[in-house]
Amino acid sequence: MGRFALPASILAGAALVAAYAFQAESYTLFVIALVALTAIVGVGLNILLGLAGQVSLGHVGFYAIGAYVSGILILKGWDFFAALPLAVLVAGAIGALLALPALRVSGPYLAMVTIAFAFIVEHGLIEWRDVTGGANGLMGILPPTLGPILFAEREMALLAILLATLALLGFWGLSESRLGRAMRAVRDSEIAAQSVGLNPVGLKTLAFALSAALAGLAGAVFAPLMMFISPGSFPFSQSILFLFAVVVGGAGSVLGPVFGALVVVGLPELLSDFAEYRLLVFGGLLLVVLWIAPEGIVGLARRLMRQDPRPAQAGGIDVAAALRPAAPSPLAVAGLGIAFGGVKAASDVAFTAQPGAVTSVIGPNGAGKTTVLNMIGGFYKPDAGTIRLAGAELAGAPAYKVARAGIARTYQTTQLFGTLSVRDNVRIAGADPALAEALLAFVGYGGPVAARADDLPHVDRRLVEIARALATRPRVLLLDEPAAGLMRADKDALGALLRRIAETGIAVILVEHDMAMVMGISDHVVVLDAGRPIAAGTPDAVRADPKVVAAYLGGTETRARRRAVPWSGPADPVLATLRLSAGYGAAPVLENVEIAVRPGELVALLGANGAGKSTAMKAVSGLLRPVSGEIVLRDAPVSGLPAHRIARLGLALVPEGRQVFPELTVRDNIRLGASARAERPDAAAFAAELDVLLRRFPRLAERLSSRAGLLSGGEQQMLALARGLMAKPQILLLDEPSLGLAPAIINEVFDVLAELRAEGVTILLVDQMAALALTVADRAYVLESGRVVQAGSAADLAGDATLEAAYLGARPAAQ
Amino acid sequence: MVTSILKSRFGLTRRAAVLGLGAAFAFGAPSAPALAQETLKVGLVAALSGQSAKSGEAITRGLEVAIDEINAAGGVLGKKIELIRRDDESNPAKGLLAARELVQREKVVAFFGGIDTPVSLAIVPFANQAKVPFIGVWAAGTAITRNGAAENYVFRVSAVDELVDEAMIDYAVKTYKTTKPGLMLINNPWGESNEKGLKAAAAASKLTIAGAEKFDNNDVDMVPQLTRLKEAGADTIFLVANVQPSAQVVKSLDRMGWAVPVVSHWGPAGGRFTELGGPSAEKVHLVQTYSFSGKLSKKGETVLAALKTKYPQVTTLADVTPAVGIANAYDGMHLLALAIAKAGSTDGPAVRQAFYEIGTYEGLIKTYSKPFSPSNQDALGKGDYMFTHFKGAEIVPVN
Amino acid sequence: MLIVSAIVSGLSLGAMYGLIALGYHVTFAVSNTVNFAQGSSVMLGAVLCYTLWITVGWPLPLAILGALALAGLFGLAVERFLVRPFAERGSNAWLMATVAGGIVLDNAVMFTFGKEPRALPSALASQPVSLFGAGIYPLQLVIPVAGIAVALALHVLLRHTDAGKRLLAVVQNPAAARLMGIDVKRAIALSFAASAVLAAIAGMLIAPLFSVSSDMGLMFGIKAFAVAILGGIGSASGIMLAGFLYGLAEALITSFLGSSYTQILVFSAVIAALALMPNGLFGRAAVKKV
Repeated sequence: MGRFALPASILAGAALVAAYAFQAESYTLFVIALVALTAIVGVGLNILLGLAGQVSLGHVGFYAIGAYVSGILILKGWDFFAALPLAVLVAGAIGALLALPALRVSGPYLAMVTIAFAFIVEHGLIEWRDVTGGANGLMGILPPTLGPILFAEREMALLAILLATLALLGFWGLSESRLGRAMRAVRDSEIAAQSVGLNPVGLKTLAFALSAALAGLAGAVFAPLMMFISPGSFPFSQSILFLFAVVVGGAGSVLGPVFGALVVVGLPELLSDFAEYRLLVFGGLLLVVLWIAPEGIVGLARRLMRQDPRPAQAGGIDVAAALRPAAPSPLAVAGLGIAFGGVKAASDVAFTAQPGAVTSVIGPNGAGKTTVLNMIGGFYKPDAGTIRLAGAELAGAPAYKVARAGIARTYQTTQLFGTLSVRDNVRIAGADPALAEALLAFVGYGGPVAARADDLPHVDRRLVEIARALATRPRVLLLDEPAAGLMRADKDALGALLRRIAETGIAVILVEHDMAMVMGISDHVVVLDAGRPIAAGTPDAVRADPKVVAAYLGGTETRARRRAVPWSGPADPVLATLRLSAGYGAAPVLENVEIAVRPGELVALLGANGAGKSTAMKAVSGLLRPVSGEIVLRDAPVSGLPAHRIARLGLALVPEGRQVFPELTVRDNIRLGASARAERPDAAAFAAELDVLLRRFPRLAERLSSRAGLLSGGEQQMLALARGLMAKPQILLLDEPSLGLAPAIINEVFDVLAELRAEGVTILLVDQMAALALTVADRAYVLESGRVVQAGSAADLAGDATLEAAYLGARPAAQ
Repeated sequence: MVTSILKSRFGLTRRAAVLGLGAAFAFGAPSAPALAQETLKVGLVAALSGQSAKSGEAITRGLEVAIDEINAAGGVLGKKIELIRRDDESNPAKGLLAARELVQREKVVAFFGGIDTPVSLAIVPFANQAKVPFIGVWAAGTAITRNGAAENYVFRVSAVDELVDEAMIDYAVKTYKTTKPGLMLINNPWGESNEKGLKAAAAASKLTIAGAEKFDNNDVDMVPQLTRLKEAGADTIFLVANVQPSAQVVKSLDRMGWAVPVVSHWGPAGGRFTELGGPSAEKVHLVQTYSFSGKLSKKGETVLAALKTKYPQVTTLADVTPAVGIANAYDGMHLLALAIAKAGSTDGPAVRQAFYEIGTYEGLIKTYSKPFSPSNQDALGKGDYMFTHFKGAEIVPVN
Repeated sequence: MLIVSAIVSGLSLGAMYGLIALGYHVTFAVSNTVNFAQGSSVMLGAVLCYTLWITVGWPLPLAILGALALAGLFGLAVERFLVRPFAERGSNAWLMATVAGGIVLDNAVMFTFGKEPRALPSALASQPVSLFGAGIYPLQLVIPVAGIAVALALHVLLRHTDAGKRLLAVVQNPAAARLMGIDVKRAIALSFAASAVLAAIAGMLIAPLFSVSSDMGLMFGIKAFAVAILGGIGSASGIMLAGFLYGLAEALITSFLGSSYTQILVFSAVIAALALMPNGLFGRAAVKKV
């Protein structure tokens, strides 16, 4: 069996080394024993780093604690084999204790807590002289006897090999077990781990304790092996070498610590002839090893190995029956509201999601849909309202409790456990291997079940995430924009899948921008705008609702800003894309997009959320490297150039969400806009230019010295525009300038755009509010699912059915 | 720069060549048996890098100068002596591993021990068990030679903390009429073992200790510790620390304006004490086993000249520090050569016996006469310490 | 008297820690990485200043500038070879790489500069003066002042020069900074240079009080990391404050309880402080997004 190839090879390797140990002389035995002990500490650290994703620079502390407990007890006359478990226990208990402060912090803060721990142990050993022998340490720690056998070097080495083998097998068992998978899950995505019902704090504490216990075990053997221990035997640098052993071996891999220990213990021995130059050479070689294999030796090897290509098999399991909730129950939300920093993100949200039905929550960007989902999922604590499922009140419950109550969810950006296999991702949520495969087949995942989740194409990530959510046997399934970034055919398959899921009796709640899909599969649609429900009902009723149309396409209250004289100018475009494809994973979001903007023209790029508008902006500005195709800026190809170079060539993007520098003043923000210019203005020139800009944006004049983060959304949009203009760009790109702004402010912004247009500024505008964008645009392109589906003059497009269809889905007649 | 140093000062050896070929299985290839060796190998396990690197270098130089002399005179048992050095990084575990490698892989006849007492303590049981002579030329921990083994293979040509401590107390009482000394000790094994020794010696001389204060190697301000000793009524300071923290003690005394007599262990001799500590450093009296300053014996002249020839970096007397490391190692190497010659073999037990039979040897530190016996494995005794002080960059005997 | 001397040396050590810790802050703010060989930068500043001034014989001001420039180059090299190759791939191995780089540099300096500590002479650290009855070197008073001055200079440089504002822009929003034509990679490299220069300044300031040797930086680097974390690695002013707190705590504990327990107590306090305030004493919590 392939599954047991690894433990079998561990046993074979151990037997080989043990056989060699029978004829080796004591120096070699010592080296073997030290490699084995370092491997044991490495395995422990691997649990912490490789499985739970926590770093420790203090493991030499646990190693020392194990050594001193065993050494002191042996000197007091204890039998080694009685002292050993106690040393392990003490180290493990201290590890659990250290986890209390350690788990409250992360990143460099965690590193510091563990460094501090190592120093406390070192100085504690020096100062607690009566017990530890102080700086001069403990002498004469005699090796044990077991019956007639005296444990000389050979026996100690064999013992170390045995323990290392057990540790490796234990690690293998752990990483294959539900517990090990749960630890990895917490490391890969704490958020998703909670949503499948795992408790991160408990798991990480356990990892800390196990890890410390193993370090203590190695230390406990180290003491009688050396027969002498002192604080100098446990220098801080050893901690770093332990960590190095795990990283170099390959964090998370079973055999990694063995290779790492060989490097860390063996290399210095090979270098011993270098005498005083040994550390220098050793340090240099460590660097070389890191450069060659930054993901570790085992990681390097695995990358070169072929993967098991077997796809998921349904295996005759009736998934629909398996998924059918024992007691189907509606999810009832009432009066739900939450505010962030005084701004209401959602209020008075109420709906009931019936079992066996698809309930969709829709609304333009910023309407508060994901916020509602996050409140239901337990990631936000609502300020008001109730969330009831089967009689239980869930408002404010933590995520893992919500998950355990039967609410599963998926995320806008998929939250898979990236280093786990597809199958393990589903198993972690509670499915046995057979059901896991059946679920994968059920959702339509056709790839290999052994593939690493990180390596999956986008569409498969979505499907696996749904399968994982289903594996928790939910009563309610929440989906956050599952169709985002998918191609049409994939979207259709996804829609069919969601219906099949609903048919099992699960209440499906869908947040989605793709209207064709929403309208096609929903039983009930709730429309939010600015955090409030504005309409609810069947798809047809909602689509016909003028309030909904206004919310999406931009209201009729916007004024027209047609040019007096239609644009005419040179046909040579300032900016053009040629068969541009771009995206984030294997599946491109944009496909063969061709647009052109000519000098002085204002061109709009329209389309529903998720159509690829922002992706296009990112690709053109260099923030996202295109997959294929060319971008031409003033006759120069710029595709693949970094963003700052493209900016210096005269392209200024005013990004979605404004992206002002919040801690800098308004004046500094504007001034930074000039960074891209070849010749930056001096103080006087800047003052003059600022003056001109402030006349255009009078609101900014009085806020010049206040921090940009304190401005209102509208002011920030003005600022972002001013900052973009400061670059004196050849072309100005605007990404969603109306997003989240009040209508009056939106009008102000668009009036400015009309002014700029009149002054001859070349502009490419992306806006979700199509009607609004068309008030200023000369021409427009309509994007749907990453492709240009329509192009023409603004006047022609304003009444075009394609446009409305691109936003709200085709009318029933067209289906 | 570094590579050029490596090339010029370090002939790539067999093992390094093996490494160059990437043969990770070098562990498995045992060295040729001792008999077939063309040279007599002796080992050194000492801290060659890090804070004690300078001391490790001094020991190396003392051994190498002595080996050059011996080899020029035809070697021992007709073979040239070869020195094989290992860096223990002041880590007992690394030291023990290196000792095993030297004995079992390199088949050394005997090996020298380095700076740190814990490292030597870790090696002692192994040396006795492997029956290979282990000669300490620096670490002064009492238990190194007085280790209780029935067949003791550990010898020493260096100070012994207990004896130094007694000598310091005697000297202070005689010179300064000390009644209430205060101890200033580096917070490491060396300081710890002298705390014990000084307290015992003080008790024996019926002196009350005003207090024992600790400091770390990196401390820049010892005023708090010294102030506490002053307030406790200390009339003399006993100082045990390396040169850099010793200099900080002197500077702290300067800042306090406290002109108290300071009697020190040999630490300040390890570097440029007066450069680091300022003019007041000259007032510190310190224990030495040897000094290259002043009127040298003929042997002293020879060794100093050899050092200057062999190591171009040595130009002034300030460059032959720590002198004790050089001198101890030099004498230790010659005594070992005498023992091997006397034993007529490289067999460990025979060499050990021969150590006890060494008659008179005119060494650098003194003329040794029957330096070792099974009841005293230390070649230097209380009478061999002299008290010195810095004069400019040189160390000169007091008076 | 004792307390005066303890406060003075606590403040001068604290200023040192603060400066070195600011170096951690600068790179962390820009790139989420730090140079764990920061102690080596401290050493490099002192060693280069000594070498250029005493050994080579340059005039002191020139030697200081030369040492700072070379330390800056070292920072650039650290970023280019020890951090970027790993950070680019999202690997955390820069942690080990910078540690290994520090080992290499410390040892290389040991063989070139020499194995014994040397004294960097200073008129400010030869004759003690009396302050409220406690004898101190004038340099001990100069260091905290210089430390605060350098920290303020850094602040001014960042807040009131174009180059500084571009760096702040990178800190606050790297993507938007790129859209302004700012080269983010270059900014990260510069932050490592600045980090090394700050540490080198600290090394030169402390050298006359201490000594110059190849391993002088190690403990300073570790304690300064504790200071950076304690202050909240994202907060520059918090770090300077934490530096002074740390230095004072060390000096006062040594003065009143004896030095044996200084490290145990201070490091325990660090753990306790972080357990209570996981983002440091003056740091702000990062916003969690789903």
